[in-house]
Amino acid sequence: MLFTSLDFFLFLPLVLAVFALTPVAQRWAVLLLASYVFYGYLHPFNLVYLGAVTLVIFGCGWGLERATQKTMRVALLVLGLVAVLGSLTAFKFYDFIAGEIEHANLFANFKLPRLGITAPAGYSFYVFSAASYLIDIYVGRLSGKQNLGQVALFTAYFPKIFAGPIERATNFLPQLLSGLHADPVRFALGLQLIGWGLFKKVVIADNLAPLVDHSFKIVAFAPPLELLISTYFFAFQIYCDFSGYTDIALGISLLFGLELMENFRRPYLSRSTAEFWAERWHISLGRWFRDYLYIPLGGGRAGALRRAINIMIVFLVSGLWHAGLGYGVGWNFLVWGALNGAYQWAGLATRGLWRRIGEALPRVTASAWLRVLRIVITFHLILLSWVFFRAASMHDALLVLQKIGARITDLPHLLTIYPFSTEQLTGFGLIAFLLVYEIVDERRPVFQRLAEAPVALRWGTYYLGIFALLLLGRWQAKEFIYMQF
Amino acid sequence: MKQFGKSALLFVAIGLLLYASVFVATERLLMRNGHSNPFFKTATAEAPNYDWVILGASHAMTLDFGGFNALMERETGLQILNLASQGTGPLYNQFVLEHFLRTHRARNLLYVIDSFTFTSRAWNEDRFSDAKLIRGTPFEAATAQLMWNYVRHDGVSPRALLDYLSGFSKINNRDRFQRDAWEGEAQFDRVYRPSATAVSKRIAYLYPDATAPDVIARYLRDFASLIEIARQHNIRVIAVKLPTLTLFYNQLPNEAAFDLASTQVLTDHAVPLHDFSAALDDPRFYFDTDHLNRTGVTELFQRRLKPLLTMPSTE
Repeated sequence: MLFTSLDFFLFLPLVLAVFALTPVAQRWAVLLLASYVFYGYLHPFNLVYLGAVTLVIFGCGWGLERATQKTMRVALLVLGLVAVLGSLTAFKFYDFIAGEIEHANLFANFKLPRLGITAPAGYSFYVFSAASYLIDIYVGRLSGKQNLGQVALFTAYFPKIFAGPIERATNFLPQLLSGLHADPVRFALGLQLIGWGLFKKVVIADNLAPLVDHSFKIVAFAPPLELLISTYFFAFQIYCDFSGYTDIALGISLLFGLELMENFRRPYLSRSTAEFWAERWHISLGRWFRDYLYIPLGGGRAGALRRAINIMIVFLVSGLWHAGLGYGVGWNFLVWGALNGAYQWAGLATRGLWRRIGEALPRVTASAWLRVLRIVITFHLILLSWVFFRAASMHDALLVLQKIGARITDLPHLLTIYPFSTEQLTGFGLIAFLLVYEIVDERRPVFQRLAEAPVALRWGTYYLGIFALLLLGRWQAKEFIYMQF
Repeated sequence: MKQFGKSALLFVAIGLLLYASVFVATERLLMRNGHSNPFFKTATAEAPNYDWVILGASHAMTLDFGGFNALMERETGLQILNLASQGTGPLYNQFVLEHFLRTHRARNLLYVIDSFTFTSRAWNEDRFSDAKLIRGTPFEAATAQLMWNYVRHDGVSPRALLDYLSGFSKINNRDRFQRDAWEGEAQFDRVYRPSATAVSKRIAYLYPDATAPDVIARYLRDFASLIEIARQHNIRVIAVKLPTLTLFYNQLPNEAAFDLASTQVLTDHAVPLHDFSAALDDPRFYFDTDHLNRTGVTELFQRRLKPLLTMPSTE
């Protein structure tokens, strides 16, 4: 079931009604049932995967709580992690690697069997949440004495199951124990978040999507300027698609009195790629990698070289995690990860220089124009990496860059003669609106401004938003990008 | 909490009023830009009585492309209303006919048979939910009531009715300011260059499901019901199969079996069938794999349809 489907708009009020009529102590059970209905709605068999992951982590967590010997504890942790992360790796990469091995022709006429199946929707997300549950019990951040039903809800919770945030049990489970209450303020904020998330998804992302898809499908034939426009559009498509989903997930959760972790914070206003990845884009994944990969690898504690290696490992693994995101599995995702890792290296290498410049020229470094320049440069570095993310293959990615690069000096002239379509102009208008909104929101949250505004202005804004959804939204989309794992 | 409830109710009430205003505005826009939708044509049909009503899928629509229907009317002196619509099988056409007969009368019905429309719910029940068809259908309480009957008795999704009643597809129509014409009409004057790949793709699209005999039998029963409805209104029914290229015709799955089954139904109901399938086997008569272009329709009309339409009824 999709957040943008009619089924969901009927499902949600029904769940809310049952939730409101259920005693507080049992409300989590309503959400668990709703989550299984939601997840199994189109593909009931996917519930088998979900159930298996839940049982594996609950069983291993239960064992970890009771095991006293270190070897037993390590064995249980490894067993659980191999089961959940190993299955994810197999789903994502086994067939691809088998194909690459055969393609390399290392062994004459060597044929490997194929799985022939892909991971169920959202698998990457709930597997990562599940892995964090086990690790948190192992390191003592979480007790292994949990209620199976509540652990099942943590894994299956329907607003986040397809595309996150990658929630932590340490944040989620205590909220269940204290009972779920929805109050008018959180309810109203939840509705606003749902509305804004839907706007980003069906109005912005889905109006940009056809233009992006068209160009990236025919890279060899698309004009360079069209490819450039589509690359810009993709940057905003993927942001609005993914953060739209997250906003809806956070909003729905507030209706039930649950607070999920923040996942996006106006990422295209980042002043460095480090800020982009650490504080603004897919925050829950960034923190997951930080806590469960980067720090266990030694983080920045073991010297500069080791730190650089650890950073690159994190970004390469992140690239692998993103592979298969509806655009296939290919080496381009690894390049995407490596490129972003290289950005971090460059940032670390020049950090001292920037600090010295800042000390020597404090007024220049504090100026607004330099801030804007840094934002623009950061955005374009990220934009460059998105080409590898979106292209269907390495060949396509390099062709896009080659075609754009070859005509980069002609751009001003090309822009004057290019026949912009109505759809493209609409796309630029929507992006401009989003940027203005985010700049305003960066200074003081728009929701907060609205809450303090006169009723006529507040309600007028709400109605404008709702009717923009009705009049301009593309409700026919069959998926969110990030749920295609 | 009570104050929050009151505010919420007021917010919803104002929202519903605004929605109603947008609903009315989109209906007016539809009446301005409507063109090929059979319900729109019925709503705007000036004459109360017609000599001929034409039903079928997109192949039948070509008889009304580029003002050809008006030409047929001039040449025959008959009043003809083409109510065919893209991708629609007997169930949807029955819906169209029933709706038409609430306000109009006809002496003859020309039904253009396409085997693919008898092989899948995609061309029947599911067509009621198609946003492109719903957004061209003017709102009438009687249409909604009729659609409700199809929801109750024929397996049509309640979403179709909900969409129609709420006007969502019309309000959400991205092409709201453009004429509501099927894209094929813009190609009516083109000439097709044969392509085996295009034919294969087209066949795969038209026959998404296997041609199961029980499914065909189910839609033939709907077709028989349509004939019965026509008969109850003293309408003479004639069935035709329009021309196709041999390249296309040869790839139609189980066409012979379908012909056998449909002929049986037509014979049982004393409906004559005129099979023009092989009448125009030249790409210059088509604008794509299977739709007649202006030259093709003109040729068909002069050679076959005109005598058929002007043939006096023997009943």
